This record gives sequence, C-alpha cells and structure tokens, in this order.
Amino acid sequence: MICPRCDSKNANLLITSPVGNEWEMYICNECSFTWRSTEPETIINPKMYNPKFKLTKKKISMMTVNPPIANSNE
Amino acid sequence: MNYHSLRDFLDVLEQNGQLVRITDPVMPEPDISAAAQAAINCGHYAPALLFEKVKGYANPLVMNVHGSWANHALMLGLPIDTTIKDQFFELDKRWPGNVIKPIWLTDAPCKEIKIKSNINLFEVLPLYRSNKYDGGCYLSKACVITRDPEEPNHFAKQNVGTYRIQVTGRDRLNIQPLVFHDIAIHFRKAEERNKPLPVAIAIGNEPIITFISSTPLEYDESEYEYAGALRGEPYQLIKAETSDLDVPSGAEVIIEGEILPRKRSIEGSYGEFTGGYSGARFQPEIKIHAVTHRANPIFENLYLGIPWTEPDYLIALNTSLSVYRQLKASMPEVAAVNAMYVHGTVEIVSTKCRMGGYGKAVAMRLLSTPHGIAYAKVIIVVDDSVDPFNINQVMWALATRVNPAKHISIIHNCPGMPLDPSSDPPGMSSKVIIDATTPVPPEQIKEDVHALEFPENTDEWMQKIKKLMGK
Repeated sequence: MICPRCDSKNANLLITSPVGNEWEMYICNECSFTWRSTEPETIINPKMYNPKFKLTKKKISMMTVNPPIANSNE
Repeated sequence: MNYHSLRDFLDVLEQNGQLVRITDPVMPEPDISAAAQAAINCGHYAPALLFEKVKGYANPLVMNVHGSWANHALMLGLPIDTTIKDQFFELDKRWPGNVIKPIWLTDAPCKEIKIKSNINLFEVLPLYRSNKYDGGCYLSKACVITRDPEEPNHFAKQNVGTYRIQVTGRDRLNIQPLVFHDIAIHFRKAEERNKPLPVAIAIGNEPIITFISSTPLEYDESEYEYAGALRGEPYQLIKAETSDLDVPSGAEVIIEGEILPRKRSIEGSYGEFTGGYSGARFQPEIKIHAVTHRANPIFENLYLGIPWTEPDYLIALNTSLSVYRQLKASMPEVAAVNAMYVHGTVEIVSTKCRMGGYGKAVAMRLLSTPHGIAYAKVIIVVDDSVDPFNINQVMWALATRVNPAKHISIIHNCPGMPLDPSSDPPGMSSKVIIDATTPVPPEQIKEDVHALEFPENTDEWMQKIKKLMGK
C-alpha cells in the first residue's frame, strides 16, 4: 500500500464500510492522509495525485508546528 | 422560540420549507459537498439538507442547517424573510446585559448509547472528504469544550469553541488550536505541565450553542451563560463521562478524549473559510476515550467553499454583534458593525464622530478587540447615517467621503490571521483603516457636506407600489 499523497509505504487499511460491502478506507501513517476506494484515480493513485498537493520529505521538513510546543515554564 | 435539540430545529425548518430530505442513497464523495454547495446557491432561502442514507454508513447526515438568512432567522424565532439588518438589531436586543446560569440534567438522550472500548468513529458518523485536496475527513461544526487547567473550577473560563478537526484514525483526531483561540490558552497551560488536556466534542446541537460557540467572546465569558441569555432560559447541560467537562444535553453525539501534550502530527491540508486550501501542518492529536450518542444519531457538519457558504452565515452576525458590543462599551457613538466578510477580515463600522479623527480611533479600538486583533485587516468606518449592511451605501461613502491621502492609514507589523494567504509571515499582517466618515471639527473640510434625503412620503409610496405590484 502506497500513500497517494506522500508516496510512503507505511499505509494500511483503516476501515471497511460499516454497512454493506461498499468501500474500504485507507490511512497513511506518515502524513495522516486517508482515502476511500471509491474516490477517483486523481485522489487514490499516487502517480495521478495533483503534484501541487503532494507532500515531499522536503515539504514535510519545512512544515510549521502549530501551536509551538510549550515546554515547562518552571 | 427555543429548541432543545437539533431535531427540534430540523422539524421547524421542515415545516417552513427550509429542509430538504435526500432519500436516495448518496456517495460520501462527491455527492455530499456538491449538494451542499448547490443548496447554498439558492441564496436567502437556501435549505438544510438531510441525507438519510450515505452509502456504507449506518446513520444520517445533515448539512447547511445555518446556511441561509432564512434558516438564521428561524434560529432566532423570526419570520424567514427578516432582513440582515433587522436580524442584527433583534440580536442586539437579546444580546445579554445579564447572563443566565445553566442547569444540569442527570440524564439525556446523548447518553443513550455509551462506547468506551473498541471505538470506531466511522460506525457512528458518516464521515467524508469535504474538498478534493483535504487531507481526509473533517468535523467542521462541532462544539469543542475544554477547561482552564490553572482554574479548573472557574465555570466561565470553560470554553466552548468551534475548531477544525481531522479524523486521523478510528479513535484519533487532530485539532487546530490557533494561538489566539481560547482553547490554545488552555492547551498551552496543560502542555507547559506536560499534562493532557481533557476535551469533549459535541456534535449535532440545537442551533444557538453552535452559533455562540463560533462567537468571539471574551476569555472569561461563558458560552453556556450567553446561550442561556439569548434563549431567555437556563441552558441545559450534562456532565461528560470521563472528565468534569459540561456538555450540551441536547447533542446527538459526544466524543470525549484528551489533547496529548508535546505531540504533533501532520494535519491538513484543508479547504478553509478563506475560500482556499490551507496547507498541512504539525498539529496536536486527540486520543478518544469514550463516545456517547443518541440512538441513530444525526451527524451535523458544514461545507466550506468559496464564500459565501454555511460558515459565512454562521459567523456573520455573532461576530458583528460581539465586536459591536465591545466597541460600544467605550465608544457609545458606534451605531452598528458589519463583520460578515471572510470572518471579519473586512469590517465596516458605522459611527457618529465625537471629534475630528474619531472614525480612525474607532478602527484602532476594533483592532484591539479579541476578534479584531488577528482577523480584522481592512476596516472601513462610515457615518451613523450609512447602513453598514448596505454595500451600495458603503461604496457611496467611500466614493464621496474619502480623500485617500488623508483618510487611508496603513499600520505595519500587526498580528494577522495565519490562514489568510496574504499573511506574511503567516500570523502577521499589516492593517488598513479607511475613514469614510464626514469630517467634523477640528478637521477642516473645504465645502459643507449636505447629503440628500429621501423625498417626503417615500415610505408611504413604497407600501402603495408594493400593493399595486400585488406583494
């Protein structure tokens, strides 16, 4: 399983549809992206995911931390 | 009229033709967001949408409950054709001089079903991706409740707010507490002690607490006491299962958990109220410990698109009213505030001017209110004779009262709204004040300004013409 957004291989099945056998949903354990098997190829296929929204290692390393981590004030 | 639950309000919306039932099964993507955007396109009378069957899920979903001026009027118990300005001043009449203390129930429908192990949110809520490049499924309209860890018994410092929340697991969420939000103050205090912050998330509420939850009250003002005052009766609460938090008794679903200290993971991207995507960031995680809910709960959520969509209605007059009251407390000449544009990024204030330069002083006061400090970026000040909700009149004031060299001021290096794409760096911005009031002494004007007036009997003629038109 490859994450369509960050291309990590650390992704797995999150759930199958609670009612019927309608779809499965997957999750990436690196970037938290979730996707449903019934979504279009432009969302679920790593090669077709919009490059503007792809998360590369460089982009992830530059992401802001919100809010900044508060350490002890003692 | 008071509603004790979301279901009470949905009944009234339906009786007034303001709720549409979608009985055919829909796909989570893209049907839900497409239908919500289409509903919004109906304008003043845009209906709420109740999706009875979402493919693969057990429970229904309702969208666009607050998403039109007609629904907003019904929330306030007003006729559905009430104008925006009339809704503002009706709200002003009810806006609390004195708050009303809540009462606590010992049982409520939101406790019908209790889940404390093997939690799977997807079995309770029909979750879906809202906009194409969102990072996942979101809770976009929940009331999030936390207490101040330094003063856990201070009831009014308990906060009820609405924040963006991504579902990042069966029993895991990520939340966005921006530094100027009350929840961020609570979380910082807990995190400094390396302690988790207990949190309760109420989904599917009667409409007033959702309205107040998204109102920028002062830090020590209680949303529950305000909601009680607006309703004219004590707000009904019930205790959470796993903490001392107070939650709305009428909720469809209550999620309980903790925001974990010193832990961040990727959240986003997300289509925001600005009408654009805000990028992914490292944001705090919530570990869920319990879920309680009514039988067959209704998931209430909203669609955020290019303005206007539902949040623009939900945060229009409550933001305007709270800023208005905060200004009026020290500047009684202020007549009305319109903070309806992109969550008050653009705000229009109408005021009488006590002295030359007063319009600018009003704008600077606005920039120090809890909401204005970060959100407000463009402030337009007009005379009290100008209706700030009538954009034609505001444009007239800009056209005829503003000498740009004198009346436009840019203030550099101020707090800003980090989700505003023009904020640079995110969280900082310059501000612009446009003083479109008529100059008063000691400011000099070259010619006296004598505004035209409506001809006499205009109102009488309006009634006559409407009658002749059969309206």
